[in-house]
Amino acid sequence: MPRSFTLPNGKIVTKPKNNAWIYTTIFIVLFALFWLFIDFRARDIQLNQFDDILKQMFSPYSAGGIQETWKDYFGYTSKLVEPLIDTMKMSFAGTIIGTVAAFPFSVLASVNIVKNPWIYQPFKFFSNLIRTIPLMVVALIAVLFVGTGILSGIMAITFFSFSIMIKMLYEVIETVDMGPNEALEACGANKVTSFRFAVFPQVVTTYIGYIVYIFEINIRASAILGYVGAGGIGSILKDNVLYRYDRVGLIIIVLVVLFSIIQIFTNLIKSKLV
Amino acid sequence: MIKFVNVDKVYPNGFQALKNINLEIYDGEFVAIIGLSGAGKSTLLRTINKIHPITGGELYIDGQDISKVQGQELRVLRRGIGMIFQSFNLVKRMSVFKNVLAGRVAYHSTFKTIFGLFPVKDKTIALEALDKMGILEKAYVRADQLSGGQQQRVALARSLAQEPSIILADEPVASLDPITTLQVMDDFARINKEFKITIIANMHHVDLAMKYSTRIVGIKDGEIVFDGPVAELTEKKLVEVYGRSLNKDDVLEGV
Amino acid sequence: MKKNRLLINPTVELALKSQPKTYWFTILIVLFMIYLIVISFEGSGINEYRLAQFAKSFGYMLKGFMNPDWEYFFGTGDIWEFKDSIVLAAIVTIAIAFIGTALSLILAIPMGFISARNITGKATSKTGDVILVFIRTFPEIVLALVLLRVFGYNALTGVITIAIHSVGMLGKLFAESIENIDKGVLEALDAVGANWLQKIRYGVLPQVLPDFISISLYRFDINLRSSTVLGYILSIGLGLKLAFASNGPDWNKVASVMISIIVLISIIDYISGKIRTKLV
Repeated sequence: MPRSFTLPNGKIVTKPKNNAWIYTTIFIVLFALFWLFIDFRARDIQLNQFDDILKQMFSPYSAGGIQETWKDYFGYTSKLVEPLIDTMKMSFAGTIIGTVAAFPFSVLASVNIVKNPWIYQPFKFFSNLIRTIPLMVVALIAVLFVGTGILSGIMAITFFSFSIMIKMLYEVIETVDMGPNEALEACGANKVTSFRFAVFPQVVTTYIGYIVYIFEINIRASAILGYVGAGGIGSILKDNVLYRYDRVGLIIIVLVVLFSIIQIFTNLIKSKLV
Repeated sequence: MIKFVNVDKVYPNGFQALKNINLEIYDGEFVAIIGLSGAGKSTLLRTINKIHPITGGELYIDGQDISKVQGQELRVLRRGIGMIFQSFNLVKRMSVFKNVLAGRVAYHSTFKTIFGLFPVKDKTIALEALDKMGILEKAYVRADQLSGGQQQRVALARSLAQEPSIILADEPVASLDPITTLQVMDDFARINKEFKITIIANMHHVDLAMKYSTRIVGIKDGEIVFDGPVAELTEKKLVEVYGRSLNKDDVLEGV
Repeated sequence: MKKNRLLINPTVELALKSQPKTYWFTILIVLFMIYLIVISFEGSGINEYRLAQFAKSFGYMLKGFMNPDWEYFFGTGDIWEFKDSIVLAAIVTIAIAFIGTALSLILAIPMGFISARNITGKATSKTGDVILVFIRTFPEIVLALVLLRVFGYNALTGVITIAIHSVGMLGKLFAESIENIDKGVLEALDAVGANWLQKIRYGVLPQVLPDFISISLYRFDINLRSSTVLGYILSIGLGLKLAFASNGPDWNKVASVMISIIVLISIIDYISGKIRTKLV
């Protein structure tokens, strides 16, 4: 709805169309439409549970009337050690294998390294497809493949890390300065050697930074992987989630502590990279 | 010796960069190529080490027709030809030493070079090259921590490490300040005389070209319009090459 | 040969000897990592039997991809109705992500302003920051499991889980965006005598709005993935379909659900990517 203003001196100014209204309307319409699909029955809502649950999670209060002490509450930690180590193992092994395996695929998906569209386009397309699969879905499939336990967890994290690293890495490779590469080729280097000397040094620190970043994501997610049976602390979570909120709360606290420690380590590594 | 016979270069998009080039460059010469930007200087230089292969005519280097050369043969050809760039093209994160060592890659198998397994002989050659350029003390410093002039010297050392017979230079001093420019050009002159290496340099500054080279080749619109010793390059001939009279961009002040 | 070179240039010889041997460090790290990986596999139960089973199941899955269950997908045919179809489940999944993200904005935007150092003071913004960190680090799945008890096994739980978690994520990014604005505009508004609300409306908002939209779209992308995962726990949407297909497992159905997930998220990724590039 363009509006025109006529100034006193006779000049006419037309205000350009404001698209913001259209977009807002679209947004509201979408919201209303999608809301139709959210089903819930008001009578199922038991807000009073909130208070109860929170108390159970973070204190020795117990709904069943069995009095616990703080010692009991924290005592459960000893049972968590092994699953935690499992989680760490899975995340570490999976991240490293997946991200390293992604490297050659990223190179093949890079426009500036592989000049031939028949090669890089399929690799780009493939990487964009597999990137969409959420980690837990991968884990579920992995469990269907090899059964429950850490193995499926490692496989799932490997595939997931692989899938997200490819795009992250090829985007870096494509922004590299190709000058040194030309110089190396002029010296008589073949494609592999010129890559190793001219391109690789430019991406290696960013690459390692990404590996660390992906490791962090995986640690956070792998705690949950156990929920589908892929091992680690998530399976403990699943077993206890509906009736022993004190353990759930403890696990959350332990996880937060773990994540913070890992965060400190990864920040250390990242600062060393520059 | 480099011999161009009726050489043409047409790019895939149809643009003809070089027309009917006939040129002979003898061992040990210092040739400066001058001309406007886009006249074909860079293309001419890059046909010699086949970064841009020619599309017509013949190009002989030391008697060998290089149009058929590829694969391992091409790498052997290229390792005998050094190339210097306006933007130095060093690998910024690597040490100076490793940058120079990279010049030796065509002498070894891919496996060895990937893992950095260069023999002691190569490492010595690399360090000697740095010494010849007078920057041996910077050997283990990161390349991007050097000044422009020093970086170009590292690039020169990289070329020297190849033990080449020819060095191609694409506007080697265009990014440097006037004083460093003279120092680097002095280095080129020294390399030419002391190590008997043929130098072919694209020069943006005409006065520099005339001061340091023995022979000038002027290119206009992909054709050679002047080819002769420096003494023959008159004001009139210069106007032919540039299509206009010189302005102050074409001359380095104070030379 | 070596001896000759020694005599020729002592400075070069010295330089050769003083090479920094950093590669040992790299080799050590690589070996250590390999060792860690190998012991990670201990106790994982990796053996030929499992690997053979993996290969077999992988083959089944590929066959399933060649021949997805289209009737199940669209809810046509004799067995399935539309309400059982994957398409409907996909719509529900998007709906949860969309509504969840949209609702989170209600709290996320104010929290963003509160946590921005240039709007509130150091103390308030730090408090806001800490709150956001806590919300963020609380694992989404655990949040969902807890909210289950309160809201039940339905889409609403999913919506609220995503909404709460997104407040943490979006709040932080919004705050960063606000902290990066050009202060000059605020100064100019001060000069014309605007109050703080007007300063936000005319000074801050125009600068951060495109960024906010971009960030929200990015979050929507990620929440779409979460929505699928939450569906598994809450027995709704595509997650439920996946759980259902895992019985057996019925690889044709699994493939159908996977295809749906890949297609759905790819399309939304693409659209949101396009919108975001236009915003910049």
